[in-house]
Amino acid sequence: MADEDETKEYRWESGYEKTWEAIKEDDDGLLESNVADLVARAKRKRAALKATGAIQLGMMRHLFVVVDASACMFLQDLKPTRFLCVLKLLEVFVHEFFDLNPISQLGILTTKMKRSEQITVLAGNQKKHIEALQQLKDLSCEGEPSLQNSLERAMNGLKNMPAHSSREILVLFGSLTTCDPGDIQKTIKALKDNNIRVSIIGLAAEVRICREIAKKTGGTYNVLIDDHHLKELILSQVQPPAVAGSIEASLVKMGFPGGTPSVNDGTSDSSADHAPAYCLCHIDSETSSLMGPNGYNCPQCGSRYCELPVECKQCGLTLVSAPHLARSYHHLFPIKPFIERAQVPDTTHCFACAKLFVEAETNVYECENCHQIVCLDCDLFIRETLHTCPGCASDPVTAQMKTN
Amino acid sequence: MEDKEERIETSLVAIVIDATPAKKFASQPLDGSSMMNRIFDSLIAFGNAHLMQASHNKLAIIACNSKSTKFLYPSMDGNSRSYQNRPGQYDMFAKVDSDVRHGLGELILNDLTDNDSTKSDSLLGGAMARALCYIHRVQRELSLSHQLKPRVLVVSGSCDSALQYMTFMNVFFTAQKENVVIDCCMMDTDSGLLQQGCDITGGQYLHIPSVAGLLEYLLWVFLPSPSCRSKIVLPPPTKVDYRAACFCHHKLVDIGWVCSVCLSIFCKFSIMCTTCNTEFKLNRPAIVPAKSKKRARIE
Repeated sequence: MADEDETKEYRWESGYEKTWEAIKEDDDGLLESNVADLVARAKRKRAALKATGAIQLGMMRHLFVVVDASACMFLQDLKPTRFLCVLKLLEVFVHEFFDLNPISQLGILTTKMKRSEQITVLAGNQKKHIEALQQLKDLSCEGEPSLQNSLERAMNGLKNMPAHSSREILVLFGSLTTCDPGDIQKTIKALKDNNIRVSIIGLAAEVRICREIAKKTGGTYNVLIDDHHLKELILSQVQPPAVAGSIEASLVKMGFPGGTPSVNDGTSDSSADHAPAYCLCHIDSETSSLMGPNGYNCPQCGSRYCELPVECKQCGLTLVSAPHLARSYHHLFPIKPFIERAQVPDTTHCFACAKLFVEAETNVYECENCHQIVCLDCDLFIRETLHTCPGCASDPVTAQMKTN
Repeated sequence: MEDKEERIETSLVAIVIDATPAKKFASQPLDGSSMMNRIFDSLIAFGNAHLMQASHNKLAIIACNSKSTKFLYPSMDGNSRSYQNRPGQYDMFAKVDSDVRHGLGELILNDLTDNDSTKSDSLLGGAMARALCYIHRVQRELSLSHQLKPRVLVVSGSCDSALQYMTFMNVFFTAQKENVVIDCCMMDTDSGLLQQGCDITGGQYLHIPSVAGLLEYLLWVFLPSPSCRSKIVLPPPTKVDYRAACFCHHKLVDIGWVCSVCLSIFCKFSIMCTTCNTEFKLNRPAIVPAKSKKRARIE
């Protein structure tokens, strides 16, 4: 960083950046339409950057989140304290993560007092993680963090995971120092050998070793500007990352419970499938295990579970339902970005929402495949949430699924 | 001021009508008018009944067949067609009636060129996607004092289309995210996909035994909003089949093999994935030559 400054002048020496000139008033003296336009452009730019499509994505993810719990996390530059702000955002992150990656697993570690502690093991159950995060609020932050210890512990957890999964560590680091027992370069080398990608979000300032770790393992390193930026950075980790290139592909055996016998299907539905039984997910808890006729039976060993997705404790089979896998399919068939055009007098209404195009809307968006015109808001909605072009789905030729 | 802000609840129902002509219905006369006419009459009556519940309730009607999808109400025609309302009839009811009949007429006339329309699949996915975009737009345009409670009612008689699986699933997940409830009224056959959709979004799925009583089923089961459905005795939820269909034979599987790259499901273990063309490595146990090393050291 210091070398770069020698070539260009210091920030106070360079001219003023007149950022206020970007905003102009329109004819009536109103700023609203201009601001809305700028916001929309920024949104489109970000959405367009995401749409790549040709890159292989790691769908089955095993992610460890390391939360810094050292003394510096009690600083109040993020309200109410850095630690509480991070925990709150992590709850949102956990929810979105399992929403978008239903067959992935998550684990939480903390680091304080020069050691690292495991809060939750790698699991696919959303509720356990959120409960653990809520209990963590009472934790007292003290001592020094240890980057190497937490990375080593996460690595031990990830080493035994199957080779086809995407192994990741996300570190939320608030301190400017770290207290390590050995040579962190050896840890970095081991991480690289095990194909583990480490992404770090710095809460204070840029730390050189963090930049090095992220660069060598293929992850990202960002330092936040304010709490909104922190939310954006954390939520950007929810999207499946591009595969590092050396992940082995394999066929994973999975069970799909919850079938009802249909007329054309020959599977038998014995009364044992619907009889009340103790479920295996609550069998360890102190309160009596949940008993009920509703639930899912593992097709391989017959054990009962309340919710999916889950890994069967008895036989090790991963149990999912078809919608869980379907949630990730939209990454594999992304829509091409719509072409921006000036308004055409022929089409008066947006195809998707039937809104009348007004004079103020200068640009409309056209799909390459079906040539239907949509407005800006529908374009953003389709790109971010719907993941299907209504025009292509309404055309008998293009409505067919791209596979087969 | 007030302790809590009372926001006006605006209920928006988007009716998605599958107008694919099933020959069975088109030619069956009942009390002078054909079955299709009765079905459309019932749907218009249901739409007007919903509008009658509260003055700020909103309605949208989208129809589809195997050729295209169309917004029936609010109409995209732009030109204000003159409609005659009976004396004493609320203007909006007459508008809905006139727009729907005119739009359906146009939609069905467009389809006359293809005689095999009953063989190709109905474009229900596209119609539902447009309904969701419309709901999203209304949500944005509504003022802050109103709270929108949207739901989609699908009235259909066609079977599942395996080729539109992706579109349907995207629509269901979007509806779940936007808190839109999807209800379904099936007339002739059962649809596994729509059952899954109703289960995912928390809606009501009903397979009607007799089409002649369509209006009665619509008014009794689908008119109440989701918030008061817990107080009413409704038909019990069906057990949904969540098994996946394998990509090779389209048969439902209990235990399947999933490609880790593209998540396609196969019923048998194979060397290569047909969807993404990746080769799979067979899991072989690691061969450890430890014993020979130990012997060498001892000697």
